[in-house]
Parts: sequence; structure tokens; C-alpha cells
Amino acid sequence: MHGTKRKQWSKEALNRKRLNDVKKIKDYRKLVDKVLTLKESQVYDLKSLKSTTELLEINPEFNTAWNFRRDIIDNIRNELDSEFWDNELKFTMKTLKRFPKVYWIWNHRVWVLSHHVDSSIKIWQKELFIVNQMLELDSRNYHGWHYRRIVIQNMERLGNKSLNHQEFQYTTEKINQNISNFSAWHQRVQLISMMFDHDEIANKLDLLKDELDYITNAMFTGADDQAVWDYICWFIEYDNVFKTLELKEYTKMLNDLQTNIVMINDDDKDFSGKENPWCLKVLILIENLQCKRGIKKSDDVLKSKEWLAKLIEVDPLRANRYRYLLDSQYHE
Amino acid sequence: MSQPLQLLKEKHIAYIESLDKKQNDLEYWLSEHLRLNGVYWGLTALYILDAQDKFDKEQVIKFVLSCWDDKTGGFGPFHRHDAHLLSTLSGIQILATYESLHRLSDEQFEKCVAFITSNQLEDGSFQGDRFGEVDTRFVYTALSALSILGKLTPEVVEPAVNFILKCYNFDGGFGLCPGAESHAAQSFTCLATLAITNSLDRLTSKQIQKIGWWLCERQLPEGGLNGRPSKLPDVCYSWWVLSSLSIIDRLNWINFKKLREFILKCQDETQGGISDRPDNEVDVFHTLFGLTGLSLMGFEELKPIDPKYCMPSDITSKFKKYPY
Repeated sequence: MHGTKRKQWSKEALNRKRLNDVKKIKDYRKLVDKVLTLKESQVYDLKSLKSTTELLEINPEFNTAWNFRRDIIDNIRNELDSEFWDNELKFTMKTLKRFPKVYWIWNHRVWVLSHHVDSSIKIWQKELFIVNQMLELDSRNYHGWHYRRIVIQNMERLGNKSLNHQEFQYTTEKINQNISNFSAWHQRVQLISMMFDHDEIANKLDLLKDELDYITNAMFTGADDQAVWDYICWFIEYDNVFKTLELKEYTKMLNDLQTNIVMINDDDKDFSGKENPWCLKVLILIENLQCKRGIKKSDDVLKSKEWLAKLIEVDPLRANRYRYLLDSQYHE
Repeated sequence: MSQPLQLLKEKHIAYIESLDKKQNDLEYWLSEHLRLNGVYWGLTALYILDAQDKFDKEQVIKFVLSCWDDKTGGFGPFHRHDAHLLSTLSGIQILATYESLHRLSDEQFEKCVAFITSNQLEDGSFQGDRFGEVDTRFVYTALSALSILGKLTPEVVEPAVNFILKCYNFDGGFGLCPGAESHAAQSFTCLATLAITNSLDRLTSKQIQKIGWWLCERQLPEGGLNGRPSKLPDVCYSWWVLSSLSIIDRLNWINFKKLREFILKCQDETQGGISDRPDNEVDVFHTLFGLTGLSLMGFEELKPIDPKYCMPSDITSKFKKYPY
């Protein structure tokens, strides 16, 4: 089981546990049978709802019970006031705190919000506050980030206003807290792309230059970290960067990055006696882009082959990839 | 470790056999919602170990049929539970592994195809059931199931493939929906969907190179693979990552020896089974994905597994290839 320490049971301990389980199993199966019988007889009332609460508190993975719960709510909608809906949100929150990785609970929460009697932007604003808190506790939670995008989409829909700039600030905050937070870097790519696509940037050149400063700093701080390098790879290949900077500035950007990366790599060599694999990988990509954009000419001396040969040594887990690239003369 | 690491085949077989004899444990009942999936994981693991006869075929088929949800026309994970695409695929996989799809009546067969296709949404994606959760997991589940049933159609495939392509990310990974972060399990669901529908050529060669790069970066110094950057290794990614690499024909881009060691270190040497990380609690899910990872790498004389279907290759070789 994900992340649960292995326990070696002695015979006595196992017998004790099983003895303990006898009553629990009996009660649990009785409760399951009760809920499923109510479901099959289509008894949609508050009493049935309460039975599903009892069951889901013990086992929030019981998807069928969540389904029944939604059918009950749908059927007695007219009897429910806004306090009910708020309590339903509280119930899912309580459950999520205990089981933050159970998909079914997240789904139910989205369903509740979409069916809430108060369909104004307010409930989603409250929700954003809650998502912030959750991502404070676990800043890489995959569901959490997915959920955040859903909340934002609904706020944008109801408020009829793009929140891309605000969210961009949020990713800066998260990255400043932890430079290895790739979920935040990923979201940053989405946001910049959307802002370009929807023409939401007042001064594109300024934004990209600020971004370049930001990643240059990040590179020096997180040189061992894939997250930063992945983002840099995206940035230098991103079409709008080339279009906005134009060839002269773009050339300078690649050259500056190259100089800085060589410096970081040299520092690593001095310090640990080993080259930094990420530096080498990104140097190869930069050289590839220099060729693609005509910055390097075909008769210039290319170093990618040399770097690939070094990578076989310093990053042996992926040696076959580097061999493949050497063989196929492919330079990234 | 003093002794060389080896695969404890007999222990794993005994562990999988023991799973259905745990009715005295509360956990057995708390996991009903995964039972049909669990039976599929167990059966496939036994098959890879060439020990499928350790399950009573007739009893398993009866159990599968007892999970049929006639109201919706799919399989729930357990008797009386609601049908969902996830458990529906497991039911179909088990019947297909036993070459027993004919145990579904014609009416059930038609209903099942209708249930699966009815969950496709306008943008080509699939919801898991009528409540609207969308995830590339469900696109895969739906298309894999339809493929096993021999019922893929261009009307279903085309929009689904277009949706999958929208889930491709800048870093070479795939997310659970457009805009979502890359995750190795989603690489499998997306690439396998493309492979099953004969649509891998919809990816450019540059994308394939990038996909291979992202996947091989999942291997960590301890040999195990993670699902996203800066996360811990976990045996289940031995399957999600290796099957993906195999589909794009770059299996050897990770280090086999180190991964094998990592998987074998996750075995419970006393009671059998494989866990997510060394010294954690074992379960049938990680046991299967440890074994299938080893099988893909060609270790331990395990039977070959099909990277697209996660089913024994000698079974899937008989499936109709799309386009029909």
C-alpha cells in the first residue's frame, strides 16, 4: 500500500486483531447492506443520506455510496436550504483532510459546488481560499493543482474576467517558497501560454526579460533540480520568446545562458569533481537551437557530441539514450 | 544484503492465492470497491508467473458475472455496486484472459458496448460514469475495453485521439486532461490509447524523442522510477514508465539492472508480495506492476506482457487489430 510501513504480525497479534475485527466486520457489513438496500429501493430522504454519511466516514472510497448520496440530494433538492449545502462542503472537507488522495471525494466536492443553491462566484472564491490552504500543506498535491484549475475556471466564468495574471503571481509565490515545486513551474507555462494566446500582456518584451532574470537566478539556486531545467528548456524553445525578442536579443539570451551554465558546471566540477548532467543536457539543447536559428553555422565547432560522451559517464542511468543520440547524430 | 537478490516466485504465488482467504480481516471488506480490479491484478500476476491455474477459473468467472450491473450495462467492482468504466475494463480483461467473453449474453455484450460509448463526451474525452469526472484514464479504459471486445469505430476513436493529443505537455509528458501536469501513469494511458488505435503516427518524431527523454528522467539513483519530477520512487512506475517506453520503442533508455534491484528489494521475503518501496506494506497492485516491469525487461523468465493492454501477450495477440 502506498507509503504504509510493512508490519510483521506475530501469530498472537494477528489473532488479537482478527478477534477485534469480528465485530467491526459485522457492523460494517450491516451498514453496507443497509445503504445498498436503501439505494436499490430508491429511498431518497434525509435518513438515507445519514446512512451514507456513516458509511463514507468509515470508507470514503466506497464510490457507489457517493453516487447514491448524489441521487438522494438530487431528489430532495427542493427541501434543502443553503445551510445543507454548506454542511455538505464541510463534510467533504473533513473527509479530504483524512484522505487527501481519494479521487471520489474531490469529485463529490466539485459536484456539490456545481449544484450548490448559491451559484454565485462567492462559493468559488471561498473555495480558492481553501485550495490555497491545501496547497500550503502539500504543495505538490496532483489533485490539489487540478482542482485549483477547476476552481479558477469557474471564477473566470462567473466573473467574466481572466485571472491569469493573478495566478501567475501565485506560481511565483509557490516557486519562491520551494524552487523544486514543478507543479508551480508547470502552471507557469500554462499561464504564460494563455496570456500570449489571449493577448493579455501589456508589454511582452518586459515580461519575457523579467522571466529571463527570474530563471537565471533560479538556475543558480536549483542547479541540481530538474524542475528549473525543464522550465528553462520550455522557455528557450517557446515560439513567442523567439518572436518577441527577435534574433539579436534571442542570440544574446542563448549566449548568456550558455556562459552561465558553463560557469555553474565548472563550479560543480571544482566542488564535487563531477560535471552537472543537467548543465550538459541544456547546453546540448542550446547548441541545437543556435543551429536551428542560424546563430551557429554548419562549419562552427559543435560540442554536443563531446557533451553526450560526458553524459554517458556522469549520468549512467540514461547512458543508452545518450548513445542513441550519438548514433543517430541527433542533437537536442 | 548478503544473498544475491532473486525473485521469490513461489512466495508471490502463495501471497496472491491468500488474498481471497482474508475474509477475517476488516481490510478485505473495506476494499470491496476494488475487488474486481484486484482479481484482474492477481490473475494477471499469476499468469505472468505461469501459475494461472492457482485461481479457480469457474469461480472467478462467476464472481465477474456477479459484478454485472444490469441497470447501466457495465461491471461494478463488487456485487451490488454501481458500474464504472474502471471496473468494467477489469471485468472484460478477466473474461478475455480466460477466453470467456462468450459468457456474456448477446444482450449484455451490446449493452456493455453502449455503456462504454455513452460515456464519451463531445470533446472526445470520457467520463468514468454519469457523474462527469473526466480523466485520460477513462479514455484509455474505454478504448482498451472496446478494443478487447473488437468494437472500436472511427466515430469513437477519432475524437478520443484528438483529446489525448491535447493532453500532451511541453515537457514530453501527458496530463489527466488538457492543461494538467505530466504524470507517468497518464503517459501510459495516453500512449497506450494511441497504440491500441494505431495512432502513434499522430505524434511527431520530435515529440517521441521528448517523451522518451521525460520518461527516462524518471529513474532515480536508487534505481526505482518516480511518477513526476522531485517525487519518491515507487514500484508501480516500473509499469507506467516501462510500458510507455516500450510502446515508443525506447525500452532500454533506463538502466535495467538498477530497476530490477529496486523491485526485488521491495519484496516481502516472509509472506510474499511486492510493495511500493522497500519495507512498506505489500499489495496486489504493486505485486503485479513489479512483475510486469520485470517481464518487460526480460528478467526472471516471466511470461511476456503486452505493454498496451497490461495483459499476457499470448492472449492479446489474438485481439482484432484496429483499423479492422
